[in-house]
Amino acid sequence: MSEPKSIVFVVDDDLSVRSAINRLIGSMGLQVELFESAQGFLASKLPNVPSCLILDIRLPGISGLNLQRRLAEADIQIPIIFITAHGDIPMTVRAMKAGAVEFLTKPFRDQDLLDAIDLALERDRTRRQQEAELAVLRERFECLSPREREVIEMVVSGMLNKQIAAQLGTAENTVKVHRSRAMEKMQANSLADLVKMIQRLQVFPQ
Amino acid sequence: MISASATLTGSYDYSEVARSVLIAIVASYAALDLAGRVTAARGRVRFAWLSCGALAMGIGIWAMHFKGMLAFHLPVPVDYHWPTVLASLLVAVLASAVALYVASRHEMDPVEALTGSTLMGAGIAGMHYIGMAAMRLPATTRYSPLLVTCSILLAIVFSLIALLMAFDLREETRWTVPRRLGSATLMGVAVSAMHYTGMAAASFIPASLPDLSHAVSIPPVGNSAVVIAALIVLLAAVTTSSVDRRQSEDRLRLVIDTLPAMVWSKSPDGSADFLNQRFREYTGLSVEDGLGWGWMKNAVHPEDRAEQEWRTAFAAGQPFEKEARLRRADGTYRWFLLRAVPQRDDEGKVVKWYGTTTDINDRKRSEDELRQAQEDLARVTRVVAMGELASAIAHEVNQPLTAIVTNGNFCLRRLDGAAWKADELRAAIEEIVNDGTRASAVIFRIRGLLMKESPNRAELDINRIIQDVNVLLRNECTRNRVSLRLELESDLPRVPGDPVQLQQVLINLIMNAIEATTSTTNGRPEILIRSARNRDGVLVQVQDSGPGIEPALVNRIFEPFFTTKPKGIGMGLSISYSIIESHGGQLSLESGSQGALFQFTLPANGAVVS
Repeated sequence: MSEPKSIVFVVDDDLSVRSAINRLIGSMGLQVELFESAQGFLASKLPNVPSCLILDIRLPGISGLNLQRRLAEADIQIPIIFITAHGDIPMTVRAMKAGAVEFLTKPFRDQDLLDAIDLALERDRTRRQQEAELAVLRERFECLSPREREVIEMVVSGMLNKQIAAQLGTAENTVKVHRSRAMEKMQANSLADLVKMIQRLQVFPQ
Repeated sequence: MISASATLTGSYDYSEVARSVLIAIVASYAALDLAGRVTAARGRVRFAWLSCGALAMGIGIWAMHFKGMLAFHLPVPVDYHWPTVLASLLVAVLASAVALYVASRHEMDPVEALTGSTLMGAGIAGMHYIGMAAMRLPATTRYSPLLVTCSILLAIVFSLIALLMAFDLREETRWTVPRRLGSATLMGVAVSAMHYTGMAAASFIPASLPDLSHAVSIPPVGNSAVVIAALIVLLAAVTTSSVDRRQSEDRLRLVIDTLPAMVWSKSPDGSADFLNQRFREYTGLSVEDGLGWGWMKNAVHPEDRAEQEWRTAFAAGQPFEKEARLRRADGTYRWFLLRAVPQRDDEGKVVKWYGTTTDINDRKRSEDELRQAQEDLARVTRVVAMGELASAIAHEVNQPLTAIVTNGNFCLRRLDGAAWKADELRAAIEEIVNDGTRASAVIFRIRGLLMKESPNRAELDINRIIQDVNVLLRNECTRNRVSLRLELESDLPRVPGDPVQLQQVLINLIMNAIEATTSTTNGRPEILIRSARNRDGVLVQVQDSGPGIEPALVNRIFEPFFTTKPKGIGMGLSISYSIIESHGGQLSLESGSQGALFQFTLPANGAVVS
């Protein structure tokens, strides 16, 4: 794999299950990290690589569903695949509503688990990429002067240069200069491109 | 002795005699009637009745006597010494008081009867002779000792008869009035006979006129006045008595009719002869429809009739209670408690049944509801317990299974690919084997939990177990209107086993049978439990009159979690199967012509599987 290596975290209190999953996923070339409790997982440092969590529901101490809630509260966005030996519908609904990727009943088909892992890692990878892009855009936006930001806000809202100049009480040419400098700093190729960037940044109230 | 020519010859005016006899009869009737009233009354009222009754009766007897005297005509004028006449009246009243007192006692033993009649007889005789002594005529009265004795004896004998009659007749029943009339006639005639015997005992020899101070002559008008006065007094007494009786009857009837219970009385055989108003109002039956055995035919729910049972209860003559549904006038049935108490005569023979019928519908319904709630609770608890158990089983068994499946898949994937190493496959397979063993241990543990293995098995009489279960389930069967019949072979070999577990199996089979039989409407639901000897030990069969088991389901019926019942959890038969198996026997379903027939065998000796 060319991208940064992915990690699959497994939290299950049953040694045999951990061991078997480790063997299966490991054989697919993925890095696996095993935990026997939710506390153990929370205490570990999460590396900044695409990852997902295979989580047993019934755990000693903090249960699987509680761990999911705690991670959400801490804004740790790791895709979760639940596995359980005895799940019921309300439990499944709760887990899926809270954003779980998949809910598998033990014993599960190996392909179901691997598909879920693929999906989860892909989701995490996409999210990470989007976050990285957003970080770049944010950095560029930080470079704009206050006047350039003012002009850009009006441009994005659809005002013509003349209107902007009238509102700011400056010459139309001055507006043009601010506008092209801002486009340059944001590395936007077109007005449409700029609008899209600003929308993603969500810096101006709609 | 006295020569006949020397005596005064008297003659009787026979119409006067007849009138005297009539008065005697009326007085006797009044006496009998008053005895009943005195008996019915208590305390001061009783004393009042006793004194007024004695006064009326005394006047009656005295009037008869006096009338009898006046019917006797002598050829000389006869006057009467009135203080003596009054004394004779007083004696008559006292004798009557004694009579009423004795006859109105609750019991009368022979000594009391004899003492009473002697006193009364002596009183009447005394009155007679005192009355005779009041005569003032120019003659000396002589008495024939024989006839005097005779008259006194007659007085005592008649008094005894009168007392016995009064005692017997004082209870007010249907035939009281005609019988009282007959007895009164008899007594009246007897009293008259005594009187005229007493008269015959006297003979009058002419002599000088005696002292006539305080003597009065009785004119014909006075003669009639005595009669009329006596009759008025007697009539007043009888009327008062009748009004009082009517009033107290009305009062009693009012009490009985308005009691918040249905009250009845029945003949010794159980046929009704009285039903109170409340009973008639509730059932809507007319008096005719309810009397006899009509109350049973027209009001008791057909299922609660069991006429033979009722007749047996009545025949047994012991107080008893029964619960039955009675139809209300609007056609709905409610549960009632019928209580019956017999009234016996001196020989202990039942002469009447008295009883009440009380509405217990609400109590009965809440009892039923409570039982239903308990059953539901038990079922829910069982289902919850089974649910938890299932969850535990699932969790405990699925963990190793997950590991096994995952490891197995790993091996397959490796084998499918080109490069695989024996070491890594071996490690995975070793884990598979370990987890397989672990899963099996879990199952073994759960099985032990379910079976609650009992190390000490007693030698059991299976018939005893069947009878115990029969007692336990009798209520359940009655409630579902299922008849449970036992056909037990005697002298069965004893079988080693756990009584509680075997009871559990039987209860399970019978409960299933009850549910099966009550689901159909053809015929009366019945369950038959049979025990018999077989080759190895004993055979027990539970057969029901239900629809039977569909052939397609026969093979699955003992599977765990398989059920044909809407609320069933499908564990009963499967656990029963395991229990019988652990006893070395076999539980099976025989396809019969009608209903389902479950049977199990139990070996008699040593063949118990641990």
